[in-house]
Amino acid sequence: MRLLTHNYMQSTVKGTERGYPLKIEATKIEFEASPFDAEFIQALLPKIDYTTLLFALKQISENGNADLAQTIIPELPESIKEDGEGEVDEALLKKLHTVMFDIHVVEGELVCPDTGRRFNIKMGIPNMILHADEL
Amino acid sequence: MSRPELTGHASSFYNEKEARKYDSSSRMIGVQREITERAIELLRIPEGKPGFILDVGCGSGLSGKVLEEQGHIWVGCDVSRDMLDVANERIERKREGVINAARKKQNDDLDEEKMQDDDSDDDEDEEPCASTGDLLHHDMGSGLPFRPATFDGCISISALQWLCYSNAKGQIPKKRLTRFFSSLYQVLRRGARAVLQFYPETAEQAILISECAAKVGFAGGVVVDYPNSTKAKKHYLVLTFERAFKAPEGLSEGSLFGSGKRESVRVDRKANNKKGKVHKKKWGKTKDWIVNKKDVQRKKGKDVRPDSKYTGRKRGDRF
Repeated sequence: MRLLTHNYMQSTVKGTERGYPLKIEATKIEFEASPFDAEFIQALLPKIDYTTLLFALKQISENGNADLAQTIIPELPESIKEDGEGEVDEALLKKLHTVMFDIHVVEGELVCPDTGRRFNIKMGIPNMILHADEL
Repeated sequence: MSRPELTGHASSFYNEKEARKYDSSSRMIGVQREITERAIELLRIPEGKPGFILDVGCGSGLSGKVLEEQGHIWVGCDVSRDMLDVANERIERKREGVINAARKKQNDDLDEEKMQDDDSDDDEDEEPCASTGDLLHHDMGSGLPFRPATFDGCISISALQWLCYSNAKGQIPKKRLTRFFSSLYQVLRRGARAVLQFYPETAEQAILISECAAKVGFAGGVVVDYPNSTKAKKHYLVLTFERAFKAPEGLSEGSLFGSGKRESVRVDRKANNKKGKVHKKKWGKTKDWIVNKKDVQRKKGKDVRPDSKYTGRKRGDRF
């Protein structure tokens, strides 16, 4: 599961106030480089929740992933500053690309912030199947 | 051959063996690819503009592959874990392909540096791209676990009809369909479209699906490609937010449907249009026939009741 996907996921269990953003308890993360398209990332920026992205990064850096996390997660600013034309510096775009697309949570759990409901992640695939009483 | 939907839950039909069979069948790959390309065409995303697409019932990732080739990022969900595992393997193979290609390029670059050759662009076309898809193990009938206005588009290939069959206690198709569509309505961006290819078993099913979609606020219609061929006939439910939507023509003779849901669905071309037809008794049971039969019996010498005004009169329903 990429952090880009995590940025959009929320819990739809019955009775959940908001269910977003989901906390990540990652037991295994992986890094895999992918082709970088500056224009695409630039266009994607306004659509993602940056605070959630930073939150997710912080989460996966804990839990024994700290070593790997330190090597692959780049430093990101608190907020994204655009220059005069509304464009973002390419180096920053590259870092954002790495964070959103190249980091995969392979094993772990997603936790709903409101209800504490846990969703298991196995082989990079989160299990979002709801039980009959959660609908 | 019965429909897979009648055998049970989707995750039990698409078990490990079936998933492998499905994914390795070149015919299946070809068909699914064609359907996906048509669905993406109906999505009407501007050329060259990559989008964030939801693939409902993504299965082993055959449709996701086509989305990737067209430059989109996608998230797929499926209720069958076995199918998702097969999709994962495909992504793994691609990943290895990327890593190997990268290594090869590195080695080539090193060689070229030694030869002081600047032309290192030869390999670029051969390099496979890493997969741009993410997978979710999820049941579409329970809604979609995403923030509102997430996706630029949604496709679904050969999956929607599974919602019409109840596989567990308390599963009501209409409820699941409504839940799915209302959730879809929320997670799509305004101006986005959903194109859902499905195999309706009956006209009623297609109508049920369309009505559930209309109830939650979608506009749109069903596009039918090749309506005359039983094998090639494909139904695409195209859903939009634009009230003035006009469904595009289906392929071949093209069955053009308006935006009204009820009249836009025609699964069985031989379905009788009973408008204006006088209700006629089935062959053999008219009053004339009865009187005739009684005559024949009388000639045979059997004991037959005399004809009266009650002969062959319409009786009420038994229950």
